[in-house]
Amino acid sequence: MLKKIGEWIFSFYCHPDFQEDILGDLEEHYRSNFKEVGKRRADLKFFLNVLLLFRFSLLRDSWLSLNLIHTTMVKNNIKMAYRSMMRQKFYSFLNLTGLAIGMAACIFIAIFVKDELSFDKHFEDSDKIFRIAANLKFGDNVFNLSFAPDPMAKTVKEEFPEVEEAARTRGNSTQLISYNNNYIRQDHITWADQEFFSIFSLPLLRGDRNHLLDEPNTAVLTETTAKKIFGEEDPLNKIIRVNDELNIKVTGVIADIPDNTHFDYNMFITMLNRADARQNIWLSNNFTTYLKLNAKETKEVVDGRFPAFLERHFADQVKQMMGVDIKDALASGNLAATYFLQPVEDIYLHSNMDYEIRSSGSIENVYLFSIIGFFILLIACINFMNMATAKASIRAKEVGVRKVLGSLKRQLINQFLTESILNSLLSAIAAIAIVTLLLPYFNQLTNKEIINPIFSLNGLWPYLAMATLIVGLLAGIYPAFVLSSFLPSKVLKGEVTQGKRAGWMRNVLVVVQFSTSIFLIIGSAFIYSQLDYLQHKELGFNKDQILVINETQLLGDQIQVFKTELERSAVIESATISDFIPATNTYNDSPFLSETATTTDEAVSLQIWYVDEDYAKTYDLKMADGRFFSKEFGSDSMAMVLNETAIKRFGYLENPVGRKIKSVMENGNTYTIVGVAKDFHFRSMTEEIQPQVFFLGNSTGSVSVKFKANMTSDVLAASESIWDKFSGGKPFEYDFLDDIFASSFRDQVRLKTIFSVFAGLAISIACLGLFGLAAYVTEQRKKEIGIRKVLGASMTTLLGLLFRNFTVLILVSSIIAIPLAWLYMDGWLADFPFRIALNPFIFIVSAIGTLLIALLTVGYQSMRAARRNPVENLRCE
Amino acid sequence: MKKFQLGEFEEIVLLTVGVLYGEAYGVAIKGEIETRLKRKVSVGALQSALRRMEKKGFLISELGETTSERGGKRKRYFKITALGKKAMDHNMETRLELRNQIPDIAFDFKLC
Repeated sequence: MLKKIGEWIFSFYCHPDFQEDILGDLEEHYRSNFKEVGKRRADLKFFLNVLLLFRFSLLRDSWLSLNLIHTTMVKNNIKMAYRSMMRQKFYSFLNLTGLAIGMAACIFIAIFVKDELSFDKHFEDSDKIFRIAANLKFGDNVFNLSFAPDPMAKTVKEEFPEVEEAARTRGNSTQLISYNNNYIRQDHITWADQEFFSIFSLPLLRGDRNHLLDEPNTAVLTETTAKKIFGEEDPLNKIIRVNDELNIKVTGVIADIPDNTHFDYNMFITMLNRADARQNIWLSNNFTTYLKLNAKETKEVVDGRFPAFLERHFADQVKQMMGVDIKDALASGNLAATYFLQPVEDIYLHSNMDYEIRSSGSIENVYLFSIIGFFILLIACINFMNMATAKASIRAKEVGVRKVLGSLKRQLINQFLTESILNSLLSAIAAIAIVTLLLPYFNQLTNKEIINPIFSLNGLWPYLAMATLIVGLLAGIYPAFVLSSFLPSKVLKGEVTQGKRAGWMRNVLVVVQFSTSIFLIIGSAFIYSQLDYLQHKELGFNKDQILVINETQLLGDQIQVFKTELERSAVIESATISDFIPATNTYNDSPFLSETATTTDEAVSLQIWYVDEDYAKTYDLKMADGRFFSKEFGSDSMAMVLNETAIKRFGYLENPVGRKIKSVMENGNTYTIVGVAKDFHFRSMTEEIQPQVFFLGNSTGSVSVKFKANMTSDVLAASESIWDKFSGGKPFEYDFLDDIFASSFRDQVRLKTIFSVFAGLAISIACLGLFGLAAYVTEQRKKEIGIRKVLGASMTTLLGLLFRNFTVLILVSSIIAIPLAWLYMDGWLADFPFRIALNPFIFIVSAIGTLLIALLTVGYQSMRAARRNPVENLRCE
Repeated sequence: MKKFQLGEFEEIVLLTVGVLYGEAYGVAIKGEIETRLKRKVSVGALQSALRRMEKKGFLISELGETTSERGGKRKRYFKITALGKKAMDHNMETRLELRNQIPDIAFDFKLC
């Protein structure tokens, strides 16, 4: 085989005079080698010899005397391409604009996709780093956690030989940091083990990598955070205060964590400062646990070790807390716990656990956008093809003359391909300019920080160069073949052999363009209306006119006085002390049992919110039954208010007020229901409403204030002046609830914007093409129009005549696009617990809208043709 | 003189062609050089040297008989031309001349 290939290659390049004897020599060597070292080595040697024989003195004559590329013809082709572009400036402009916009859109999508795929791959040995995740189930409660119990990291490292290193992080919170009495509210603070920095190769700027977090009261900062706190000072070994209660020494500064990382911490405090990190509780999962394995293939081995591991370590605590044997519980299906490893590279795109550290991307979007990008480029290419074949009659004479003068078909194809590659090259340059101009907006939209995506070292330029060539070839190949196959005898006689086939093909291509456009328009219409529905759905609480004042725990005992002062202000209607703010994604759940329950299997996991008596009043929560907490009742410390969903889950269908519920955890207290609150969306609108319970309790992290309408600036001024009275110079930190609420829709809003931008692009590029096509068609039929007009055709008849073809095309496109869009949108909406119905109205409106846009595009040309004086059309020079 | 220019490898090939008078074709030349000079010769280097020298006029070649062990392909036998001999002699003479010009003292290695 190899020998055959070798012979073939040799005879391809070798001068024919030398071929026979050299091949003979090679054959002789081959046979002697065959005897000595066997077939395989001999084959290989033969092949190597052939490659080494590629010498200047042995090459074919034609390779030496002729240029590899006929530069004169290339020059000529480029000149012809330039001339034909200049001759029809209008069409060329349409072509170039369409292609440039399409390419720019495609480049943006490529930038986006490339960045999404690059997540967490920048760490050393990133393929060996894993995160422990868990699918847990007890009773009816199901959890998909990216967390593991606190002893997991340590124990796994001791017991599994495959694990080289294990580390935990917990929390991602905002704390008040002070240095020299300057207060800063620092976000993204986490607690981490020393080993975290051995697993993740985050570049260390200051400090000793082996002694970062191995002592209590130590912290590592990112560069930006260090600058923010210390300015130009050297942060190493300086002491900062956290929340005015804890002094911490800075032991290291790392470079800022790259944006394409699944965590976004700005500060790491040592895990040794958390008492809950060494409690040895297996049944509570709170720690993000990372493992580094000795090889990426051992993932399955480790996954396989977990079931036995669970029985070994969980048994005692399951017995103690739940009173059952772990084996029985697992066998009966009441308890299920599967721990497994997630490759760290897959977390961002593939993992969709509860409590992910930051909002993650989705692989579906990556696919979706790639497909959209491809189609937009296709639409632009189709424009080019259609224009080129439509203009054929103009170029036909040229082709005829060329052929008569001896042009070969191949040369004509080359000429047309040169033209289209030149076109795509110009468009690529324009597209790069567009991308460079719009990059800031793109970053804003996608929440990324991308600089110089094309010409940097790992940039897109090689792909772009290839794509330009491919687009040029693809767009050019069909017209090149059509145009070059004209018969000179017919063409020169004036019979424009337009061909039914070219027209038919053009129709198919237009249908592809408009199906894509209609699909995208329907898509954005649905995303828009679903979002609109969610944003305006009855929330069950008042989100407007609420100011949330943060970090109020700093006021200590004075918080009650602070609240009373606030309530006294003229612009403030009421105030409440509670950490728990609707529409923020706080989690705090615990299992509870109904009166009738006999085993812990029947437990219902409730979201626990600690509030004060004024909570319902401030947030306008409605009661379905009973009452909210009140100072008039002294016994409210053992009282609870449930939401309707919780009541349903406990099965308290009649007269729930007064009945009792028991906690499974902690002390096993029994609480009395004093009221039932109507369900409200206390978490993101994209989630089901979960069972929820309110307790009267101390949670002093924030104070929410309900203020009178249109008093936004007054309430800020009033609150801040009261704050200053108590705070002793600490900064006044606040949010408006409607801002928090709006930001919880960030991902959906982004999707909506992207979809509508692309839909807009698709339809405008398609219309550019249609505009050109219409201009051409009317031009072709101008004599027909003239005659019809002379014979008395009315304006409407003429317009109808011109519109008919395009209308049919768009109807066909709708018929293709609507079912596809229906399927896709149904799948997309299925992810939302609260969703709109698939309204046929939207489909129809989208299709009709597209038709109108298309007819308007065609209309200008048609009107002009129909209104023209028939004399002009019929005059023959 | 420029027209007699011979590379080191070319010279060896030229000499070997002369040695193998009448039997000088690719495989034989390669074998001869390899056994006499104890150095590896690649087919590519040899063939390109042969063709180069043929083009310069130092060698002429003709195709010989077919043999079955070469897959039915003919051998190309090379012979030295008069110009080839001149070039060879010229090369040798210039070297000898240069060698003879070296003063004895240059070989007096004791001082080193």
